[in-house]
Amino acid sequence: MTVEDAFSPLAQRVPLATTVNGRPVTLAVPARLTLADLLRDELHLTGTHLGCEHGVCGACTVLVDGRSVRSCLLFAVQVEGRSVVTVEGLQDHPTTGRIKCAMARHHGLQCGFCTPGMLVTATELIDRHPPEKPLDEACVRETMSGNICRCTGYQGIVRAVLEAAADPATGTTHEG
Amino acid sequence: MSAPPPRVTHGPGEPYVGTSVPRVEDQRLLDGRGRFLADLAAGALSVVFLRSTEAHAVIESIDTTRATDMPGVVGVYTGNDLPLARDYIGSLHTPDPGFVAATGFRMPEQRLAILPVDRVHYVGQPVVALVASDRYLGEDALEAVDITYRPLPAVLDPSASLAPDAAPIHPHLPDNEAGRIEVEFGDDVAADAVAVTVEGTYRIGRHGAVPLEGRGVLARVDGQRVSVWTSTQIPHLVRQGICEATGWSVDAVRVVVPDVGGGFGTKANVYAEEVVVPVLARLTGHDLVWVEDRQEHLVGSAQGRDQVHRTRLSVDREGRVLRWEDDFLLDIGAGGLWVAGVVANTAIHLLGPYRIPRVRLRGRAAFTNKTITAQYRGAGRPEACFALERSLDDAAGRLGITPVEIRRRNLLTAADLPYAQPLPYRDGVPIVYDGGDYLRCLDSVLELLPAETVERLAAEHPDLTIGHGVGCYIEATGRGSFESGRVRLTSTGGFEVASGAASAGQAHETVFAQVAADGLGCSLELVTVRRSDTDLVRHGVGTFASRSAVLAGSAIRRAAEQLLDQATGRAAQLLGVSPDLVKSTASGFAAADGSSEWEISWADLATACAPGGAQEQLGPLDVVEYFHPETVTWTMGAHAAVVGVHRGTGAVSVLSYAVAHEGGVEINPQVVEGQVIGGVAQGIGGALLEQFRYSPTGQPTSTTLAEYLLPGTCDVPDVQVRHLGVATPCNPLGVRGAGESGTIAVSATVAGAVEDALHGLVRVSETPIRTGPLRAAAEQIRREGQ
Repeated sequence: MTVEDAFSPLAQRVPLATTVNGRPVTLAVPARLTLADLLRDELHLTGTHLGCEHGVCGACTVLVDGRSVRSCLLFAVQVEGRSVVTVEGLQDHPTTGRIKCAMARHHGLQCGFCTPGMLVTATELIDRHPPEKPLDEACVRETMSGNICRCTGYQGIVRAVLEAAADPATGTTHEG
Repeated sequence: MSAPPPRVTHGPGEPYVGTSVPRVEDQRLLDGRGRFLADLAAGALSVVFLRSTEAHAVIESIDTTRATDMPGVVGVYTGNDLPLARDYIGSLHTPDPGFVAATGFRMPEQRLAILPVDRVHYVGQPVVALVASDRYLGEDALEAVDITYRPLPAVLDPSASLAPDAAPIHPHLPDNEAGRIEVEFGDDVAADAVAVTVEGTYRIGRHGAVPLEGRGVLARVDGQRVSVWTSTQIPHLVRQGICEATGWSVDAVRVVVPDVGGGFGTKANVYAEEVVVPVLARLTGHDLVWVEDRQEHLVGSAQGRDQVHRTRLSVDREGRVLRWEDDFLLDIGAGGLWVAGVVANTAIHLLGPYRIPRVRLRGRAAFTNKTITAQYRGAGRPEACFALERSLDDAAGRLGITPVEIRRRNLLTAADLPYAQPLPYRDGVPIVYDGGDYLRCLDSVLELLPAETVERLAAEHPDLTIGHGVGCYIEATGRGSFESGRVRLTSTGGFEVASGAASAGQAHETVFAQVAADGLGCSLELVTVRRSDTDLVRHGVGTFASRSAVLAGSAIRRAAEQLLDQATGRAAQLLGVSPDLVKSTASGFAAADGSSEWEISWADLATACAPGGAQEQLGPLDVVEYFHPETVTWTMGAHAAVVGVHRGTGAVSVLSYAVAHEGGVEINPQVVEGQVIGGVAQGIGGALLEQFRYSPTGQPTSTTLAEYLLPGTCDVPDVQVRHLGVATPCNPLGVRGAGESGTIAVSATVAGAVEDALHGLVRVSETPIRTGPLRAAAEQIRREGQ
């Protein structure tokens, strides 16, 4: 890059302080950098995948302050002061762990490209589901409807989420 | 939701083939540690492509001056700047001369330019490549490339394209015919034998693979070699395409396949970007990466289907088929390197799983100014199936028998099979359906999903009018010419397996390990399957056409068996006993002569082969095998669906679905079932949702996933699958292909169910099924209180 390039308005960087997977991150980013590109290109957290970059497919879903968001539709600077959790950050999360085991058992993934987004959405679904509402197949299908899988036909994914949602102590679902 | 089927687990001492061992791939993919193409990009500069904004135009000028001066730009390249030996990618399939002679098959040579400098043929065609420090700056700079186009009339209708006075889209060709075929056999039918003749026009919309991961190419130069990572199903054909276009030696190009996020045929193609990125890497000396975005994918990656069939089917009073005629037309867009495959597949699979004495088929493929095409999952089979199955439903209706009954009367049974057709397959070998009992699949699918299900679901869904449909298909699987398999003993006593058949989610790392472990008689844990890499196997073809289990599986099995054989001899030598006393064990070999017992592990054997070992002079244990099947092996199946049509909107919901299919030996039943269910999901997309649409001037209008609708969690019901295995003698594993079976009959089955739901008030003759006419029919039913 030439000296002139460095002064281009496109290259101007904005300071950013945020938390990613529990660790403070302080760096300067171009104002137009998306959160997904920050995670993938700057922080090398490549578990967050880009399937459409226009907010439809859900592959890039991450948690910001505990709620699922499309990281392709947020600018990195929008997570200033917030807490971002990616699939890598759910490595030791018990709910995600149960979903992962169930996904493998029920063949809930083939190519695995949509899987991180599915895991993030399903983790939020189970962790934040109001106890008075049934967590049944219809609920899982509706909640996961923003995550597209092109390989599996969803059957294994839905089974896996339902199984993981079952109370780990009693084996019963929230329905019961 | 129905309970999952019991898992076939692996017991001690049993073969691994036939058991649903857990997938090796899952752990890394679940942990977000998959390595897809874009995940390898660190350190590389970005390539971005300027794509044609015109469907058909002369390029009057390209001025890259402004773009070159933009921040972050390393270089801007047109077709004139690429040092190419040949500026187009050649056909990927040429039928056997015997097939050509029997079918009059013809196709011209296609020469769609890698980066055109004089003429563009579709919106989305790459025209200029730009190298920049990152993608953001690269895309900024693309806006500063100045291209002047002189628009030409865009040809979007394949019939108009083939009209005698139509101007050729490709100036080197005399007309717009991209391929033709003609099949005719059987004696003329006596007029008085015919009870009903139905004629129809059936349109299968333009839809395609749309894998969740787009394409992408990474190239790194090392001395005289270029290594290319690409999200492909066919690494060796990509290497061939690169070498033919550049003139480079195959020894100078390595193609590696990372984790691939779905392929379904669109990645079984060789693309301009796969040539341009390595060429520019060499030209600039930089590591370069191009990652396709979704908008590029929806205009630039190969699409599929888009056929029109004009049919005529005659049956006798009993509903037995007497005569079947179809004149079909394929719109292959600006080009298709697999046109021979799709045209031939369509014609051959129009024969169906039935007894049809008299057949007359004519097919033509046309060039138009739409996006290029390739072999999307099924590749001619779903289209053929739609035309034939819809015609059968029509004939059944006229005769007053059910769709099930007309199929029952025509399906090939155990008494008919194996069944020869008076026609060679694409490989020139006479077609013989090597099945067991096709009627059994129909009976079986009706057990899974009987027509009576309609009553139960109607009670549950008062807002829907409900119907039941069936469809049958036949599929030639596992075609040649060959596939490679390599098995080698590693220095630590494990095994490494490699093949030309790249995985795009089909669990090759698991299923090929099962095959190799059985061939070696060893524990599964000892076997690692490597991702496809042209340095690991020098020759290969790839994954498509439901061929990997059949061909790569067979090559790996034979390589494993040969390695075991060689190793047994070496073990005997090391132990100083006769080879016939040596038995293989899960961890190596054992021998006993009555008084003494010896053991030698695979690790011991590896040490013996290594430098300084007792068998150093024998070299490593490393076997490469090529499996050439004599011809294809046939899979057949029957589908059943119960659908509901919304009384207010006409929207179609698939409520329940079942598949009974006659496959072969299943290497991993859970993986096979996953292929079938995933195939059904894509079929539902094609039947109801997906379509690449174009404006009258050839502008694509399905350029986001909000317009090109992929089926979601609420669009795909639970699918029940029953596998009726009939081992085939065509390969050492007894397997038949299963990758495409799920997709083929879905449109036909759903269409039949929709007609049933609407009491026959509409005829469904095109996909995606339009809801407007359905709404009107549903309204009529409601008014008449039916």
